[in-house]
Amino acid sequence: MKTLTPIDRDRGLQRLRRLTFGAAAGALMAVLGISYVAAASYAGKSTSTSTSTASAASQSSTGSDLQSSAQAPSTGSSGSGTVTSGGS
Amino acid sequence: MSVAVKSWEALGTSVHVLTTDPHQVAAAEAAVREILQEVDAACSRFRDDSELSRLNASNGRAVEASPLLACAIATALRAARVTNGAVDPTIGAALGAAGYDDDFSQIAADRGPITLHAGPVPGWQAIRFDEASRSVALPAGVELDLGSTGKALAADLAASAAHTATAAGGVLVSLGGDLATAGIPPDGGWRVLIAEDSRVEPDREGPVICLRGGGVATSSTTVRRWRRGGAVLHHIIDPATGLPTTGPWRTATVVARTCVDANIAATAAIVLADAAVDWLKTRNLPARLVENDGTIHSIGPWPDPKGITA
Repeated sequence: MKTLTPIDRDRGLQRLRRLTFGAAAGALMAVLGISYVAAASYAGKSTSTSTSTASAASQSSTGSDLQSSAQAPSTGSSGSGTVTSGGS
Repeated sequence: MSVAVKSWEALGTSVHVLTTDPHQVAAAEAAVREILQEVDAACSRFRDDSELSRLNASNGRAVEASPLLACAIATALRAARVTNGAVDPTIGAALGAAGYDDDFSQIAADRGPITLHAGPVPGWQAIRFDEASRSVALPAGVELDLGSTGKALAADLAASAAHTATAAGGVLVSLGGDLATAGIPPDGGWRVLIAEDSRVEPDREGPVICLRGGGVATSSTTVRRWRRGGAVLHHIIDPATGLPTTGPWRTATVVARTCVDANIAATAAIVLADAAVDWLKTRNLPARLVENDGTIHSIGPWPDPKGITA
């Protein structure tokens, strides 16, 4: 096997640095590209988390998921209601 | 405990305001009327002078919305987000193409056949909305319809305003069968008759639930429907097809923390079809689904019809 001279070793190290830099730059470009595509894909999301100025409605317009009522409804005794829930 | 009631018509539907203190019903009515006028001016799709009509005609330009319209848009976007697009506000053009292009009282008569084209609606992601600046831009051709979540939002806002105006006691506001409550309920809770049509008188025979807070909403394909060329159409659009839904449920009723959340879940249940049962159970939302053949399903913590309470 050929013995490496100091010059050969330095050339090899320089080649390795270039390859490392190229791989890092490529990865960075890929991350930026994917980030841009992701941002464009979710453009409909609000760009601010500030609360609505219609403060009375804040409970209705916020929240990450639907909320069940604090007290579950119960079955009414036989007899009439005082108001109707139905389609309109 | 006696309950006072005031009723009238607004937003193309019936309005009922109930208070536990009969002396407060006039104050509650005044507060609700004011909210409904503001909602109509901001969110109506059928008024040329409404903010929403101007936004729908903005042809891609960014518009600064009023606080109320911005809140309605934020609510509609949240509905789309939490239902993964099953409840989508960009159905405006699809509704118009299906014949719902005017106040409902004007479209009931059959005005002849129309041609429907299946295809997904533009999708809520197309809306450019900044909640802080209230800037909103719709791509040209995209029309918002805030009819579903907008009515429920109006009920929540109206109940809150009425409760503030009455200072004490409890208030219930019904807009076309979507109910919001505020304050202390009557003894035993608000007695709500569950029906497929909100025009059914509450003293008729039927299932009654007692509600101690939150909201109730019912979505149905059986009431707001019309004919074109002999075909029956209705107002619940499947965003995936741009056409009226054709799933197994004709009516869905849901109880939730707010009327908006109940309305979102009820509409989503109709659109999600068979997947609605697991979707509702996962969220622990009490729901009642009616199949097209009339079979009734109680979902999650919906009250057991046999578990009568006083």
